[in-house]
Amino acid sequence: MHINYVRGFKENRLGRLGIIFLALILSIAFLAPVLTAYSPRQVSENILQPPSQKHWLGTNDLGQDIWSRVIFGARTSFITALSVGILTVTLAVFIGCSAALLRGIYERFVLRLIDIFLIIPNILLLLLTAAYLRPGPVTMVIVLSIFNWPGCARIIRAQTLTLQEKSHIKAAKTFGAGTFYILVKHIIPDLGPILASSFIAHARRAVFMEAGLAFLGISDPLLISWGTIINRALQYSYLNNWYWLLPPALGLSLTVMAFSFLGYTLEEILNPRLKVGKNAGD
Amino acid sequence: MGRKRIIDYLLALVIVISLNFFLPRLLPGDPLLSIYGEDALITMTPEAKVELTRRMGLDKPLWEQFFNYLSGIVKGDLGYSYYFQGPVLDLLLGALPWTLLLTGLALIISTLIGFILGVESGWRKGRLADQGLLTGFMFLNGFPDLVIGLFLLLLFGVVLGLFPLGGAMTPYSQLTGVSLLLDVLHHLFLPLSALVLTEIASCYLLTRTTVVTLLEEPFILTARAKGIKPKNIRYRHVGRNSLLPIVTRTGVRLGRLFTGALFIETIFAYPGMGLLIYRAILGRDFPLIQGVFFLVAVVILLINFFVELIYPRIDPRVKNNAY
Repeated sequence: MHINYVRGFKENRLGRLGIIFLALILSIAFLAPVLTAYSPRQVSENILQPPSQKHWLGTNDLGQDIWSRVIFGARTSFITALSVGILTVTLAVFIGCSAALLRGIYERFVLRLIDIFLIIPNILLLLLTAAYLRPGPVTMVIVLSIFNWPGCARIIRAQTLTLQEKSHIKAAKTFGAGTFYILVKHIIPDLGPILASSFIAHARRAVFMEAGLAFLGISDPLLISWGTIINRALQYSYLNNWYWLLPPALGLSLTVMAFSFLGYTLEEILNPRLKVGKNAGD
Repeated sequence: MGRKRIIDYLLALVIVISLNFFLPRLLPGDPLLSIYGEDALITMTPEAKVELTRRMGLDKPLWEQFFNYLSGIVKGDLGYSYYFQGPVLDLLLGALPWTLLLTGLALIISTLIGFILGVESGWRKGRLADQGLLTGFMFLNGFPDLVIGLFLLLLFGVVLGLFPLGGAMTPYSQLTGVSLLLDVLHHLFLPLSALVLTEIASCYLLTRTTVVTLLEEPFILTARAKGIKPKNIRYRHVGRNSLLPIVTRTGVRLGRLFTGALFIETIFAYPGMGLLIYRAILGRDFPLIQGVFFLVAVVILLINFFVELIYPRIDPRVKNNAY
């Protein structure tokens, strides 16, 4: 089946909106240094000022310019989302495919592990681990990915099992193709749509997980994150500081929405195929 | 439920307990540091450190410590909170009712509204009402729980001043009876609305998808052909069957509700488990963090277990599967 992604996204209203949101956030993150005259870390004595010509969104309790902190926060959010998405999907492909190809006791072990992991709410595991490790940006990405792969790996294993029965892969086997060759040349390309939608789902989760953990004060306090900004602003909410609370909250929502809408659209474009994958082997 | 699944749950419990025990002890450095946190450690005298190490058995071999930890859990001893100056168990039991009230009500309300809207919307697939609801809920689903809580706090608490900004009841008011109940509800309203709003969208979307798929099933056609009233088909045939995925996903939803409660309780300073976790993290109070982790994990495991246990009664088809 040939899928025309470009047309699919163009024809879907939510898909177009998702792409616009994503482009908006991406360009803000990319152009952050050009869009502000202040460094997001620069401390000054002008503390807790309301919005003005000089400081578009005012300043925080350390005299830092809120606007520049918000736009630099987009970078943290985006880089975390992309890295977690890539790492989670890679882990899931590695574990899911190897389970489906090697079978035997290894596969049973992996499936059991996944079943058990899915019983425990992963936010709890995340909180406990993060509270001890006090993760910086890199550790955060690793921790988020390690607790997110099981669901994705299960879908990938099921789909790999189905794919192995397809005639083009059987044909490749009769021509003497090895397991690794089949995996790289046939199975992973055929998994493409599932990988894409898993990537989007996990990137979306990562955005609010990163902000959430930062909000709870678990991640590196020096990191410029929307979660940290919201947490600080909340402590001064008696000042009626909407100009401080709303921008990071809006940025967060816009990013999460962008990924959600892309996800819905992708699912709609791929639906017939995804349905087959979900029923098989589960 | 098969024996395999019961063992899964037991293994999950073992993982929870072992993480709680081994994580602080396997980190590099003084285990006392990981157990009590930096801030508490600075205030201790060297004699107190030695005394604590001895009393907690940190000088004993690891397996003996683990055994002591297990017997402590069985006796209900979850450790002592340095930050709050009290036994962890008491703190947990003080916070648990508020969280149960908040998440329990949110679960019921969001399921009811989400389910009814989902059935009505799926039944009218493609019409204006359905399209409107669908788009609306998809937007709502795009807002993280953190942000929904903030919006409500800012609008109704700060700007309009209609609801209190924090707490679960007015302190030192000595209210009784109906006025106490009203006071509790008044404090509960904003956090509860925030939690319902975060959960309702996913419940609606799930129900709607199921309804749309179910409407194409032959048994619906049969029911129509028999001349059953549309209202009865909508709820007795379609609605009943579309409840199944909602029940199966109770575990996932509880996890999500708890996550939501974590942020929302923090935003509204609502004195439940979420705020307790936040304070414990803020104060680096590791015994308390571990206690909350243990209790919440056990409660969610138990509820999940119960849901899986009763599931074959709701949907006899699963009995035939290898679950």
